[in-house]
Amino acid sequence: MRIAWIIARKDLALRSRDRSVFVIAFVAPLALAFIFNLVFGGGGNDIGQSVQFDYGIVDRDDGPVSQAFTEVLEAIEADGLIAVQPFDIEPDARAAVEDGTIDSLFILPSDLSANITTGLPANIEVVGNVDTPTSAGVAASIAERFASGLAAATDAALTAVETGVIGPDEIASAAAEAGAQPPVAALVGIDAGIRLLDSATFFVAGLSIFFMFFVAGLGVTSMLEERRDGTMTRLIAAPIRRSSIIGGKALSSVLIGLVAMVTLVVASTLLMGANWGDPAGVLLLIFAAVLAVVALMSFVGGLAKTTEQSGNLQGIVAVTLGMLGGTFVPIGDPTSFLGQLRFLTPNAWFLRGLADLGGGNIVDTLPAVGVLLLIALGFGVAAVSVARKVVSA
Amino acid sequence: MTDRPVLEATDLDKRFGDLHAVRGVSFHIDPGETYGLLGPNGAGKTTTIAMVGGLLERDGGQVLIEGEPMTVRTLDPRRKIGLVPQDLAIYPDLTARENLTFFARLYEISGQQLKDRVAKVLEVIGLTDRADDRAGEFSGGMKRRLNIGIGLLHQPRLLILDEPTVGVDPQSRNAILESVEALSSDGIAVLYTTHYMEEAERLATRVGIIDQGEIKAEGTRRQLVQMVGERDRISITANGPLESAVTDLRGMSGVEEAGASDGQITLLVRDASELLAKALETVTNTGASVSSVAVEEPDLEAAFLHLTGKALRD
Ligand SMILES: Nc1ncnc2c1ncn2[C@@H]1O[C@H](COP(=O)(O)OP(=O)(O)O)[C@@H](O)[C@H]1O
Ligand SMILES: [Mg+2]
Repeated sequence: MRIAWIIARKDLALRSRDRSVFVIAFVAPLALAFIFNLVFGGGGNDIGQSVQFDYGIVDRDDGPVSQAFTEVLEAIEADGLIAVQPFDIEPDARAAVEDGTIDSLFILPSDLSANITTGLPANIEVVGNVDTPTSAGVAASIAERFASGLAAATDAALTAVETGVIGPDEIASAAAEAGAQPPVAALVGIDAGIRLLDSATFFVAGLSIFFMFFVAGLGVTSMLEERRDGTMTRLIAAPIRRSSIIGGKALSSVLIGLVAMVTLVVASTLLMGANWGDPAGVLLLIFAAVLAVVALMSFVGGLAKTTEQSGNLQGIVAVTLGMLGGTFVPIGDPTSFLGQLRFLTPNAWFLRGLADLGGGNIVDTLPAVGVLLLIALGFGVAAVSVARKVVSA
Repeated sequence: MTDRPVLEATDLDKRFGDLHAVRGVSFHIDPGETYGLLGPNGAGKTTTIAMVGGLLERDGGQVLIEGEPMTVRTLDPRRKIGLVPQDLAIYPDLTARENLTFFARLYEISGQQLKDRVAKVLEVIGLTDRADDRAGEFSGGMKRRLNIGIGLLHQPRLLILDEPTVGVDPQSRNAILESVEALSSDGIAVLYTTHYMEEAERLATRVGIIDQGEIKAEGTRRQLVQMVGERDRISITANGPLESAVTDLRGMSGVEEAGASDGQITLLVRDASELLAKALETVTNTGASVSSVAVEEPDLEAAFLHLTGKALRD
């Protein structure tokens, strides 16, 4: 451990001379977050503090399907996430979106239930305001999720008619009933999204962990550099264990990662008014996330033979996971297949943990912390076995 | 101090896939002795050293450092070895002092002792004035000296230098050779690999001639030269189809060995005065143009040519 620390300290000294690490770890994410915040922010909603979206609905169907949809909206409304206001006249409702009285509008067409019954395509129209893209995105995802559940259920119901289990008149209600189920289950995902969306903190958090991917690979990159530059031979020739060398590299990555993240939290709080939540919880999440990302990137980076290859590989993984994890596009459909894929990324779990922390209870972050630590453990073991090959003459 | 060897390497063996890089290499080095491992590029010198230093897993054989077995996992014997890699192994972004300090710490040197050792080594390698400059700004020779200095920090019993003068200007080269001589007279054992015959002749108490992974012969300069017998050496510098000239020369009576490399043909003959004219004619007949000729008494290079059938040049 003492030797690992000596090696880590040397690497940190080297890195601090290499200004790129400051740019990657501090300057770039802060600058980008600041720009993003200017473009999308404005509201400056606090993290975790529930954002309420005001929605309108025009129900020209008034059939079993629109009934089911209304029930879904009511369920979400009961959670305090949205407020729904019915409109009788469509132009009035559209005007309300225009002037910002409501954020978005659902229009259920008159033939909705009828078309569903006969297996024809049906559309729920979502009208959003360009000034509140987040709200429209969430509205669209609610409608889409409902529609996709509905489509599956309709298919099943039509098959049931053909085989004589139910009569044609029961299709609409059967389909609507089935369609109503999945969105409720999917609300967990939307919930996390809503609490984080549209806040300075969301962008800083997402970008911080994205940039952390580049910082986290520095240890394994420097290991490949030591081999390229011949100093690895010296480290191996010294009376120290190879595990101390690997430990030193991991330690320096973790330390740089922690320093970068903590700096970002402090700076974004002071400069941008971001509100990350309970410091102890944030620290816990950061720690788990840094471990996970360092383990992941050490594994990925160690698969390469040269520092260049390793850098490319790390870049690809960082960007892919960043996109998948919702760093750049917080909205979209969080309940779709792609939307669920984000939970394969440490990015999403970190953001999820912060959202959970927003509830005010540090215990709520434990699932996210647990997943991050599992990622750290899994990739950590893999990374060490990969690193053992790098630490050789 | 006992009489037991500082290093005893027995039957070292290493394969890289199909390549049998080191084949049953054995040698020992006594305290205060400088052992020269002389051989062309690819002979297996670096691989041998890597096994001696516990860097590389070996496929067979044994290494004892003052009687202690050395493997890739043992740590203690490493304290007795100062290993200077063939390629520069320094951090260009750290200063000379920082480089030395970092490596000294890996050998558990700390506190006042650390400062003293670093200052002492800086003095030995002549970098005291430049101690706080980045190593990356140093000239090639200064980097080489720092590279060697790192190997001296922990006062090893055995200093291993792997071709330390390759790519160095003549002045720095001489400085390096002088410092090796000085270290040796301080009683430190040195394992010195080189493909320069002159360096082996100048520095080494004993020389092992290594080629294709095998030690072909070992002994003092005198012993090795005696193996070759009383032969003269003719060196012909020429341009043209030297390989075919060598083939023709090998067919001449009185020519014992012939080899060519780097525009130079080397011949071992019983009597140079008798053969010189005819040899030159043979070379010219192949279409080569001769630019210079030299005749020398036998030396290590002649021994090498005799033992390996090749000239020992870059
Ligand atoms: N890691 C390695 N993998 C495969 N072949 C190697 C490796 N290291 C050395 N060799 C080969 O082993 C032979 C001996 O190499 P080396 O010990 O470096 O020779 P020298 O130091 O005498 O020039 C060479 O043919 C070289 O190409
Ligand atoms: Mg070599």
